[in-house]
Amino acid sequence: MKVQGWMFLLCGVFFAAADVVYWYWSKEPTGTTAMAISVGLAFMIGYYLLFTARRIGDQPEDDKEAEISDGAGELGFFSPSSWWPLFVVLAVALTFFGFVIGWWLFFIGMFATIMSVIGFVFQYYRGHFSH
Amino acid sequence: MLGVATASAITTTAPHGARRANLVQVGTIVWLSSELMFFAALFAMYFTIRSVSLGHHQEWPRAELDIPYATVNTIILVLSSVTCQFGVWAAEKGQVRRLRFWYLISFIMGAVFVAGQLNEYRTLVSEGTTLSSDAYGSVFYLTTGFHGMHVTGGLIAFLFMLGRTYAAKSFTREQATSAIVVSYYWHFVDVVWIGLFATIYIIK
Repeated sequence: MKVQGWMFLLCGVFFAAADVVYWYWSKEPTGTTAMAISVGLAFMIGYYLLFTARRIGDQPEDDKEAEISDGAGELGFFSPSSWWPLFVVLAVALTFFGFVIGWWLFFIGMFATIMSVIGFVFQYYRGHFSH
Repeated sequence: MLGVATASAITTTAPHGARRANLVQVGTIVWLSSELMFFAALFAMYFTIRSVSLGHHQEWPRAELDIPYATVNTIILVLSSVTCQFGVWAAEKGQVRRLRFWYLISFIMGAVFVAGQLNEYRTLVSEGTTLSSDAYGSVFYLTTGFHGMHVTGGLIAFLFMLGRTYAAKSFTREQATSAIVVSYYWHFVDVVWIGLFATIYIIK
C-alpha cells in the first residue's frame, strides 16, 4: 500500500505548489481556499494509506515478484443484495421535496428516512441473520 | 460473514502478511476526503464574501460573537473526540462495555455542543443576526449550520453503533469496524470545527 500512499502525498505536494502559484498570480480567495483544502484531501488519504501500510505490513502489491493468486482470500463483507439503499434514497428525496411542498411533508420524510436507515443498518442483525 | 477464502495451491513467493487493509475503513477515509471538499466550498464562500465585504469597507464580522462561550463549546467537542478514541481502544480489545461507556459519554458531549450552538444561534437571532439579515449572517449560519448538521449526523451514528452492540449476542469484528469508522467521522467533524472556529472566531 506504500505506493498508493505516496501517490496521494505527491498529489498533495502538487496541489500545494499550484496553490502558491495561483495565489501569487490571482490574489483571489475562492480558488486559493479550495485548493488549499484539496491539499488536505490528498494528504488525508495519503497519510492514512501509509499509516495502514505500516500497520498491516507488506501486501502483494508491494512485492514485484508477487502473483495474482497471492492476493486471493477474503476481502470483506459485501451485501449480496439489499433493497434498503433504495428506500433510504426515496425517503431522503421525499424529505428534500418537503422543502418545496411544505413542512408537513418534510417531517413525514424525516420519519421515513429514520425508519429506512434503521432497516439499512440492522439488515444483517435481524431475522435470518440475527446473531 | 459469508466470505469464502481461497488459497493458491503452490506458493511461488514468500507468504505475505495475513492482515489486509479493512476496506470499510479505507472507504470511510476516501468518503471523508470528499466531505472535506464540501467544507472547502463553505470555507471558500466565507473567505470570498469576507474579502468582498472588506473591499466595500463594510464591517466584518457584523455580529457580536461571544468568544469565551464558543471556546468552551469547542473544548467540549474536542474532548468528546478524546473520549471517543478511548472507546475505539476498548473496541479494538473487544471490551464492549467500555466501548458503550465511552461512546455514550462522547454522545452526551456532542449533544451538549449542538445544544450550545443552538443557544448561541438564539442569542444572535435576538440581536438581529439572522440567515437573511445580511451577507455575514448567511455565511455564519451556513458554515456553522452545515457543521452542526454533521455533528447531529454523528450523534445518530453513535446511536446506531450502540444499537448494533445491543442487537447481537456477541461483539464481532464487524461491530468494532463500525465503531472505528464512526470515530473517524467524529474526529473529522471535530477537526473541521477547529478550522471553522479558527476562521470565524479567531481570524475573523
